[in-house]
Amino acid sequence: MNRTRIIFIGILAVAALIAGASLLVRGRSGGAQAGLTVERPDQVTVRVITALPVEEWVRNAAEEFNAGDYTVDGAPIDVEIVAMDGLAALGRWDRNEFGALDPGVRPEDLTPEEQAALDSFPTAWIPDSRYLVELANASYKERLGRDVFLTDGEYRARPIAISLFTWGLYNSRAEVLEKTYGQINWQTIHDAATAKGGWPELGGDPAWGFFKLVAPNPAKNVGGLAAMIAMAGEYYGRTDISVEDVTNPEFQTWLKELMGAVTDFSSASAYTAEDFALFGYSVGDGGQLLESDLLQNMQGILTRWEDPLKIVYPDYVTWFDFPFTVWVGPETSALEKNAALEFERFLLSPEQQEKALAYGLRPANPEIAVDASEDSLFVKWRDQGVQEVVPRTTAMRSPDRDVLLTLLRWFELNVGE
Amino acid sequence: MVDAALDRPGFQAISPDSSLWLDQLDQAWTAQTSGQAGEEAAIPVGQQRIGSQVRYAVSPIVIAAWESAARELGWPDQPVGWEDIQQLATQDPDFKWNHPSTSTAAGLLATLAEFYAGAGLTRNLTEEAATAPETLEYVKNVESTIQFYGEGEEVIVQRLAEEGRDFLDAFVAQERVVIDWNRTQADQQGQERLVAIYPKEGALWTDHPLALLELGSRADELATTNNQHLTFQAFADYLTSADVQQQLLASGYRPADLSIPLDAPGSPFADTGVNAGAVDWRQPQTTLQMPGPAVVDVVKNVWRLTKRPTNVYLVVDASGSMSGPKIIRTRQALTAFVNQIQGDRDRVGMIEFGDGLKAFTPLRVMDEGNRADLLIQIDAMEASGGTALIDAVYAAVADLQAQSDGEAIDAVVVMTDGKENSSAYELRDLQALLRSGAGRPPVIFTIAFGKDADEELLQAIAELGGGQFRRADATDIEELYRIISTYF
Repeated sequence: MNRTRIIFIGILAVAALIAGASLLVRGRSGGAQAGLTVERPDQVTVRVITALPVEEWVRNAAEEFNAGDYTVDGAPIDVEIVAMDGLAALGRWDRNEFGALDPGVRPEDLTPEEQAALDSFPTAWIPDSRYLVELANASYKERLGRDVFLTDGEYRARPIAISLFTWGLYNSRAEVLEKTYGQINWQTIHDAATAKGGWPELGGDPAWGFFKLVAPNPAKNVGGLAAMIAMAGEYYGRTDISVEDVTNPEFQTWLKELMGAVTDFSSASAYTAEDFALFGYSVGDGGQLLESDLLQNMQGILTRWEDPLKIVYPDYVTWFDFPFTVWVGPETSALEKNAALEFERFLLSPEQQEKALAYGLRPANPEIAVDASEDSLFVKWRDQGVQEVVPRTTAMRSPDRDVLLTLLRWFELNVGE
Repeated sequence: MVDAALDRPGFQAISPDSSLWLDQLDQAWTAQTSGQAGEEAAIPVGQQRIGSQVRYAVSPIVIAAWESAARELGWPDQPVGWEDIQQLATQDPDFKWNHPSTSTAAGLLATLAEFYAGAGLTRNLTEEAATAPETLEYVKNVESTIQFYGEGEEVIVQRLAEEGRDFLDAFVAQERVVIDWNRTQADQQGQERLVAIYPKEGALWTDHPLALLELGSRADELATTNNQHLTFQAFADYLTSADVQQQLLASGYRPADLSIPLDAPGSPFADTGVNAGAVDWRQPQTTLQMPGPAVVDVVKNVWRLTKRPTNVYLVVDASGSMSGPKIIRTRQALTAFVNQIQGDRDRVGMIEFGDGLKAFTPLRVMDEGNRADLLIQIDAMEASGGTALIDAVYAAVADLQAQSDGEAIDAVVVMTDGKENSSAYELRDLQALLRSGAGRPPVIFTIAFGKDADEELLQAIAELGGGQFRRADATDIEELYRIISTYF
């Protein structure tokens, strides 16, 4: 045998060994369907960070979805829901606590341990409002030089449901306020909040003490920020709020007086309508909260307290649109991204959109009416003032990043301390 | 709990009585971690130590009073408030009331109510108002009427069962304590009922959160695992399950499950049964405003200056049987106790005993120098000799009685791991000494360290001193001393 033939046979033997070892490894890892070059996982997991107001609906939808035969490239999809307030999630994106890779680093360059750490990276995010997505993008643009959530194309953020902020006041208290002031708005609430004699001065029962405002803690709950923006909107009588507006000393004095009527900012849930139901009028006479939150807790309020809530629509409306937002970076695979889109389509299906009505959410799909389902909370609580068509259309504009940061810092220094 | 959760805790979840403590934990965590990443975060939402959380029950904090005592206050015909209780306590020396220390939600509320009343406010308490001389004088006067501080409701209930109204007329507790007492003691043991007074100025709520800690961001700290997340979720699901929620209702809590009505037949809040009229599910009408964390901190710190001062003797077994790990753990426990005593008018003394009194350190105010001296002495303790337990307690009581000014809480904390074998005095001598004093006798807490301690004798001494008998071993002796320190 000459030298060339020996080398040729050696190469063939090494190739056969590599092929054999590869087959053995694939067989052990269970990838029976995979060929030599195409890897297909047994299951594709989609992790969705989900805002608290839509969590219950989305979680139940995920259970239905997981029980169905949904696949991506032949692999079954499993959806995991991670509930998180939009602001808390934004803080985690901003601090890169989820572990996005540095520019130029590819997952295949990582050690096995580092690759394993990416297993828990979120595939998608449903924040409360699209302005949170814009803030997250701004943060990553500084770090990575690009957007990580897209605003157009296949992976663009799409609303899955909508809701708005409305007044929720105990009937007994609302009657007194309407008799005294004629109308419920931030100015009259401010007057009630600063009445030195408390409820007796306003014509209410002395046992009610002072007027107690329900406002979420803006450092814990994105609803708190929305409330402060709405306060500014009504204070100035316009929808576009600037940094100059929120740093105006007169406005800040007015805002501090309003916030001084909040009973406790340390609550676990940072004030949601669940607090109305658990603690009743003892903790809050009324406040501006998300319509869906109020509707979901209305039954609990009626079960626990003698006084139902009255819903009143404000002059300036703040909307939350819960955009389904897919992470476009290399930390998640194309299969995972496509699986996330499959779940998004499921949420937008007429069947799921109708189910959202039972959670007090307004469908994102305009073809679904808010009274389309017999479980719709918009039908059930009509007598409490909920309206199928929002009576006023003056919507607050999404605040820019500097306004939000200014308000957050003001709160931290003046109220949160 | 808050302090432990900040520094590499050996647990992954906590369930304090109020989410007020979660807020304090997150504030402390944010303060510790801000700027650690090496760059300023763009979004000023602090890093959080608390992850998922769920509330499984709530209960308002009320003034719990014997029904007869409540009627004397005007209940139920007229509203009763914090100020009424405080006024009565300062005017009537026979009126006995108590609130726990500010480390519990009930204690913090009662203290806040005193500061509000002292400042002449019902909301928007500021640091300036809380530290004004008139406020401090008012709070000091009210605090001088407190019988003792302490761990809280369970111990009080135990002593109410033993001593009835002789022990206390009223105390600050969760509403569910009233319900539970009426169910177990009034209904089944024939004791007088307790009633819940919802203070007219405002109550506060305990909301019993179960919270998962986000661990792993600190060096050498294990991260919370996926399994631990799942276990937390399973436990949270259990606590909020229908069966457990009904059990919580039966125990007097208001369950978090909002589909459960409070006034349904069979509920302790219903208009029939032993609790009828004693509690009211429509109450409280209003809540006392909780100031921001900075003001709460000021109130907690200033309270130490206004609270009733303490004279306490640590009577410590340093006999031969304490040698080895026991004396080491005892040194650690005593150190923890001494460090917990922070009032600038509190005095601590120590008596080591073996065959007789081995070392006698008289009462001294715990300023920096005296504290350091006492800690050096604790560190130098050695085990040898017999067990002159009664002689040592006698010496402590005699000195307290000689020095008592009636203003301070006088107390003795006694610990032994063995049996009396060297004293000249007998138990009856101690009893005679306690009876001979002019004022209120010192409160005596006794601790049986390990299985060989003479529990019978320790129980008898605690009974004579109107205090408590507790057991401890090497694993929990430090925690027990820490708990006892909250009584002062």
